[in-house]
Amino acid sequence: MDKKLGVYICSGCEIGDKLGVDGLVQVAEKESKAAICRTHPFLCGPEGTASIRQDMEGGAANTLVIAACSARAKTEAFSFDPRMVMERVDLRERVAWSHPAGEDETQALAEDYLRMGIAKANKMEPLELMTGQVSKAILVVGGGIAGLTATLEAANAGYEVVLVEKSESLGGSLAEVKQPIPVKAPYTESLQNDALERARLVMEHPRIQVLTASAITRTEGQPGQFDVTLATPSGPVTFRAGAIVMATGWKPYDPARLSGLGYGSCPNVVTNLEAERMAVVGRIRRPSDKKPPRRTLFIQCAGSRSSDQLPYCSSVCCMATLQQAKYLHDADPNAEVYVIYQDMMTPGPYEKFYQKVQDHPRSFFMKGEVTSVGPRPDGQIRVRVEHTLADGPFEIDVDLVVLATGMVPNAADSEAIRTLHDAQAKVLRNESEKQRTEAEAVVASLRQHENTEILHLAYRQGPDLPVLRHGFPDSNFICFPYESQRTGIYAAGAVRSPMDWAGAEEDAAGAAMKAIQSVELATLGAAVHPRAGDLSFPFFNLQRCTQCKRCTVECPFGAIDEDEKGTPKFNPYRCRRCGVCMGACPERIISFKNYSVDMIASMIKAVEVPEEEEEKPRILLFACENDAVPALDMAGMERTQLDASVRVIPLRCLGSMNMVWIADALSSGFDGVMLAGCKHGEDYQCHFVRGSELAERRLDNVKETLQRLQLESERIEMVEAAFDDCRRLPQLINDFAGRIRALDPNPYKGF
Amino acid sequence: MDTTSIGRPDNDFIQDVLGLGGEDLKKCYQCAACTSACSLSTEQNGFPRKEMLMAQWGMKDRTIEDPGPWLCYYCGDCSKVCPRKANPGETMMALRRYLTSYYDWTGLSRRMYRSGIWEIGFLLLMAAVVIALFTLPHGFGFGLLARSGPAPLTHVMLDRFAPVAIAHRADQILALFLAVFLLSNAARMFFFLTRGRKIPVGLYFTYLPVFALHGLTQIRWKSCGSAETTKNWLRHLFLVTGYATMFLLVVIFLPWFQVQNNSFHWTSFLGYYATAVLLIATTWILIDRVRKQDEIYRYSHISDWLFPILLFLTALSGILLNVLRLMDLPMPTYVLYTVHWAIAAPMLIVEVPFGKWAHLIYRPLAIYLAAVRNKAEELSAEKKVDLSEMVA
Repeated sequence: MDKKLGVYICSGCEIGDKLGVDGLVQVAEKESKAAICRTHPFLCGPEGTASIRQDMEGGAANTLVIAACSARAKTEAFSFDPRMVMERVDLRERVAWSHPAGEDETQALAEDYLRMGIAKANKMEPLELMTGQVSKAILVVGGGIAGLTATLEAANAGYEVVLVEKSESLGGSLAEVKQPIPVKAPYTESLQNDALERARLVMEHPRIQVLTASAITRTEGQPGQFDVTLATPSGPVTFRAGAIVMATGWKPYDPARLSGLGYGSCPNVVTNLEAERMAVVGRIRRPSDKKPPRRTLFIQCAGSRSSDQLPYCSSVCCMATLQQAKYLHDADPNAEVYVIYQDMMTPGPYEKFYQKVQDHPRSFFMKGEVTSVGPRPDGQIRVRVEHTLADGPFEIDVDLVVLATGMVPNAADSEAIRTLHDAQAKVLRNESEKQRTEAEAVVASLRQHENTEILHLAYRQGPDLPVLRHGFPDSNFICFPYESQRTGIYAAGAVRSPMDWAGAEEDAAGAAMKAIQSVELATLGAAVHPRAGDLSFPFFNLQRCTQCKRCTVECPFGAIDEDEKGTPKFNPYRCRRCGVCMGACPERIISFKNYSVDMIASMIKAVEVPEEEEEKPRILLFACENDAVPALDMAGMERTQLDASVRVIPLRCLGSMNMVWIADALSSGFDGVMLAGCKHGEDYQCHFVRGSELAERRLDNVKETLQRLQLESERIEMVEAAFDDCRRLPQLINDFAGRIRALDPNPYKGF
Repeated sequence: MDTTSIGRPDNDFIQDVLGLGGEDLKKCYQCAACTSACSLSTEQNGFPRKEMLMAQWGMKDRTIEDPGPWLCYYCGDCSKVCPRKANPGETMMALRRYLTSYYDWTGLSRRMYRSGIWEIGFLLLMAAVVIALFTLPHGFGFGLLARSGPAPLTHVMLDRFAPVAIAHRADQILALFLAVFLLSNAARMFFFLTRGRKIPVGLYFTYLPVFALHGLTQIRWKSCGSAETTKNWLRHLFLVTGYATMFLLVVIFLPWFQVQNNSFHWTSFLGYYATAVLLIATTWILIDRVRKQDEIYRYSHISDWLFPILLFLTALSGILLNVLRLMDLPMPTYVLYTVHWAIAAPMLIVEVPFGKWAHLIYRPLAIYLAAVRNKAEELSAEKKVDLSEMVA
């Protein structure tokens, strides 16, 4: 395709007042030989956009460079055919609003940005559309309250749903309680148990297919094209689904680990689940003599919130205890109920239930730590409570002790299973003594993950969802609710995070909506969150692939499988278009039509680096589009001044940064390179989970480059910046520029 | 403190506290907003959360050994900040009522605190006894129909109506009666607050000045939290000087203070001071109790009403008696003399050993014993450190 470059320069919003627009026109017309270059004082207005549209439709321009405001502004005004080549150059936030008027360096900055934009546009190609048959059916795994709700939500929105449940009946744990905890107004009265009613609605729904006593044996493919095989009582069943909601719920914490609290040794020490089962069939009784207890003591956080057991709060056990206290008082108003807690967790209006139960004359609540639970000869149990607030420890004799145990997710640790399988394969290969012993040790340490698969994904990175903290396949819930690290698969309910049934219902609705978005976007060939609607996708030039497997390992979403030889097999519908693979590939064979190693490299080379004696340093800033760039945009809106030596290149994710760019920048005379990415680590904020972490790891290798070039390591710096760092980030940039100015110029200038 | 096997919560104790003004006790969820807000609570003597919790759990044994309730002067800051509206300030008051009734070994206090009928009935009974002493023929030697013959009705001759020697002796007997009961109750309190503790005997002497200071000045009250504290403390201090003066006049200086006819004696000036203070302070307190603006006066148990009312009536009848005597109106003087006695004596009998007035000794005793206990604990902690150093 012949490229006809059209450059459109807006002079509104102070751009024309602060910059020499004629100089910019010169860059476009003289240097870049643009077919068309127009300026307009109000380019985003109807007249301005009409002139662009006219040039496009008349065939005068097919490659657009819009030099106006930030790419995050005026997106509707500048939305033309999404497939065509268009590059936005930010002269407003990045130049006019953040630099003094009438200075040479400001003008040089604007001209460089225009050159960079034109250089990129010249390399970009029109997008091709992903075409494929996409199923819009949704698979829901798990028939508890979360799964039932997700199923109904999706089916009521018009989607075909398949619900898989491993047990014989629907309803999950909620169906097994006597009275659900009062999660709805007025928060003090018993509620109808919704589980069975919801199960009936599901069974009767025309768009829902229910498969009970069934389990997934294999899930192949990608969003829109998941081929799922189930083992059912009537034999294997195969079907295609577009998205998956994983609502597999929770299992109780193993009470065998609570022997310190008398479980196992005292028959009259039971778990909250065992007490609930007794309540369901009648009333809570002492196991030893089946008599109703006159005095019952609940131990909260049994096995929870301690570093050597479950480190987290399950958020439900306190309400469950209150509910069981109510059972006991309902059955016998004179029954005494003692609750020993670390903290009562009754958030929000749940407090009302706590108040109601506490108000009963035979309720006794105390913060403290149970240090021993031992049987007495008369069948009673003596409980010792320490660290109380009541002037010292005390001992109390009770008939029954109930341990409020927490929730463990019904999830499989994908990475652990994969590591286990790899190690098992290594043991079988038995290549060397040392390798085998090491692999055997890995196998031994991960053996508990054997046969724990749930989804049985045919993904190179592992058969289930990767888990984050404490074994929950959660994502960063604040920023990316219901997302998992597998595109098209969304976690809902207690498998994602400990929660009660109200939380599970809300979760299920959210995850169902995410699943719907996923199949709809797949139908368009577009990406899901966080680049929702992006039509680009990476191409692999496999002739030059060296099978290093870096892309398959580093893709945060498991989008790339590999064949026996290790050649990557890309699954475009799994892709989130972050470009981490592009940054990973040492051979640079992965590229998007509108984003590639070469394009960024030409942007770097398009910058006019002044001669050494001019004492005008040049600094390159690779900024994450998701957090650092918006922070800079906001800084521009606040008219925060930036050092004019800095040239910003937005990246889809810092993880897409290819090391060659840094070498390119230093060898073309840049005096410093800065990277601004998202917070990583345990509380990561990276939109692509590991992008900034990978960038930092790759940066370690840069030291080598610097040594080879005999340059100071201070010339390269990486900072973490969040969306709201609009005051801090400019400060960091200007400080860095100050430090670079203090160094000698880059000796490679002019080479 | 060593482990106590509480066996089970004492539900009767809980019921008592609930009934004595702690009806919001169950609402407490132990957040300690109260203890943080309290300007008198300290690391060693933290309150009122601890007291709330002990009362919630019916830990009677720990409560009766606790000086905490008496260390509180009820500014009400705790109740203001309480997120659960558990009213810790009033619960502390209820605990003081409970403890007053518990320290009393006769059981009379307990009955009167639990039942207004008992309290008023007992007061009326005592009043009837006093009136009988004055009016019955051939009573105990004084009165209108006393053995010395009827008092003259032409001029006031109080000595003929109520011979001062006998009245003086009656005052002293009454004072002795009050002291015996009050001190025996205080001894019980002393026993509860020190039992099971290793306290070096010398400490009891070292800290005696603490007892005297707080008994005489109530200075601790001044550090209490609310804006009205200084006003309340000063008012109370004047009240104390008022009744202390009156006590001395009646028990020791009665032969001069009880003037026989319509002449004037300089001791009346002291009486006027005491009367003025008592009248102003009790009226003011009663107005505050009616207005319910200050936290301390929002909740009034019947005992909180009776005490200032009786004190007010005592002072009022006393000053009117003085006026009638100076006006030389014999019959009204004799009648009012009887009425004055019939108010003052029952009030003293009920309030001092068995009622609210007993705090005049319980408060300084608690402050004193808390100081002694704290010091003893510090010493034993130091000793433990020494021992562990030796072992190391």
